[in-house]
Amino acid sequence: MSIVTLDPTTGFGSGEEFPLAPRPESLKGQVLGVVANGLGDSEAMFDAIAAALTDADGLAGVCKVVKHSVAVPPQPEQWAELLAHATVAVTGFGGCGSCSTRSMRDALDLEAAGIPAVCVVHSALEPAVRAMARLVGADEYPVIVIDYPHNPTAVWTKEESAMLAAQVLDAVRLRLTR
Amino acid sequence: MSFVSDTHSFDSFEDALEGQFELGVTDGLPVVPPTPERVAAMLAAGDIAGETILGEVPTRDVVVTAEKVAINAVMAGCLPEYFPVVLAAVRAFLQPLANAHSTTATLAGAAHAVIVNGPIRHDIGVHGGQACFGPGFRPNATIGRALRLVIRNVCRTVPGVLDRASFSWPLRYSFCFAEDEEATAWTPLHVKLGYEREQSVVTIQSIMRLFQVTEFAPESEEILTTAYEVARHMGLQRDEWAGDGRSVVLVIGPEHYRRLVADGWTKESIADWMYPRLVADTAGKFDQKVTLASPDNIWIVTAGGPGIAQSWWFIPHLATPTHELILR
Repeated sequence: MSIVTLDPTTGFGSGEEFPLAPRPESLKGQVLGVVANGLGDSEAMFDAIAAALTDADGLAGVCKVVKHSVAVPPQPEQWAELLAHATVAVTGFGGCGSCSTRSMRDALDLEAAGIPAVCVVHSALEPAVRAMARLVGADEYPVIVIDYPHNPTAVWTKEESAMLAAQVLDAVRLRLTR
Repeated sequence: MSFVSDTHSFDSFEDALEGQFELGVTDGLPVVPPTPERVAAMLAAGDIAGETILGEVPTRDVVVTAEKVAINAVMAGCLPEYFPVVLAAVRAFLQPLANAHSTTATLAGAAHAVIVNGPIRHDIGVHGGQACFGPGFRPNATIGRALRLVIRNVCRTVPGVLDRASFSWPLRYSFCFAEDEEATAWTPLHVKLGYEREQSVVTIQSIMRLFQVTEFAPESEEILTTAYEVARHMGLQRDEWAGDGRSVVLVIGPEHYRRLVADGWTKESIADWMYPRLVADTAGKFDQKVTLASPDNIWIVTAGGPGIAQSWWFIPHLATPTHELILR
């Protein structure tokens, strides 16, 4: 006796290639959007990244938004502010399950809006953000990974945040330019 | 009836049963093979077309249709007459303030309580009495499981992929119970939420922490004191996005409500008494502020059986409780 069953899933992946936003030659004159989710002490790291890129690369400005919860999209007014001002962007910190995947989605949404972006995540959550990237067909979308011994949930000292900013700076520069 | 879902063919019932494991669509327990006939019966009982959209999880590009929910309800072991409750539970879960992405991808492994009010409790046998949080009651077990299978299969919350829970939780297999509305003269939860007593309603509360309140003292104020002290053990921080609707649920068991009712307490007076004590400033590592906007954010439900003097707190994840009318 043959039995037919219906598939209960919605499947995975759009099947279409996800186009990345065109990258500028350098960060000079660009406005860095920072989409911070407020996880732990990670905001300090993003502030340090923005300050360092302003000094070293000649950013024209920084447009930072701190989301109202760790794993939700930016508020509509925050999103409008980003679209109005940011020309490149960094999102994160991807150190918890829902916030890492949402931060990845923030980066992908920025890319779809024409703003080159990169998400900073912890190695513990890399499989999660990879799954989020696969959802939209951006399987190979690069992320910047922070590893142990640094705490995934960004319970960091002030010095640690500054050190991590310095550690990822080159990668941020690389991912946001061509 | 036609379906848009992909199909899988098996040579026998046993193959179909095992095949669901191979497809990776179970919660680790066997499921009822979702044949087209069973799914059609489910949709008919819900009086709903398969293509009807119940809600979305925008972060994941997920659109949840009645067809997919019916398939998962069959797999969970629901009888067709349970399906209106499942539909309402899924709709409530997909309301934006229930924060479906966050509450299911979290490292913390939040669960969801499905609380049923109104006459449908008796019509289909959703249990709110002795042992109602645990196994042994088909409507409780399968309605709660259907929601979890929808979360897994439709909303893509697979462990190791978008389910990032560090430990996860037994409550994530299934957690559904009814309010024991007849146990006291207190106002049932759904009536407090603005529904008519004759209406049937599902309430969904995310659960970050489940705290047991055991207090054998006969004095009602001692019971309430222990309750708020337990809730303050880890506190609750404000979440700007969830806002003023974020609430805690206190499920009061019969040994406690017997004493409370005898001393004239109501749900309203309990919440009024408890609120300033919950929101008092943090005084220590295990005496932390439970940030709530008002006494209305203390949702009280009666359930459970006689014996031990026990009640339970459901402390939320980054979400507000949501509710939906059960349509039938």
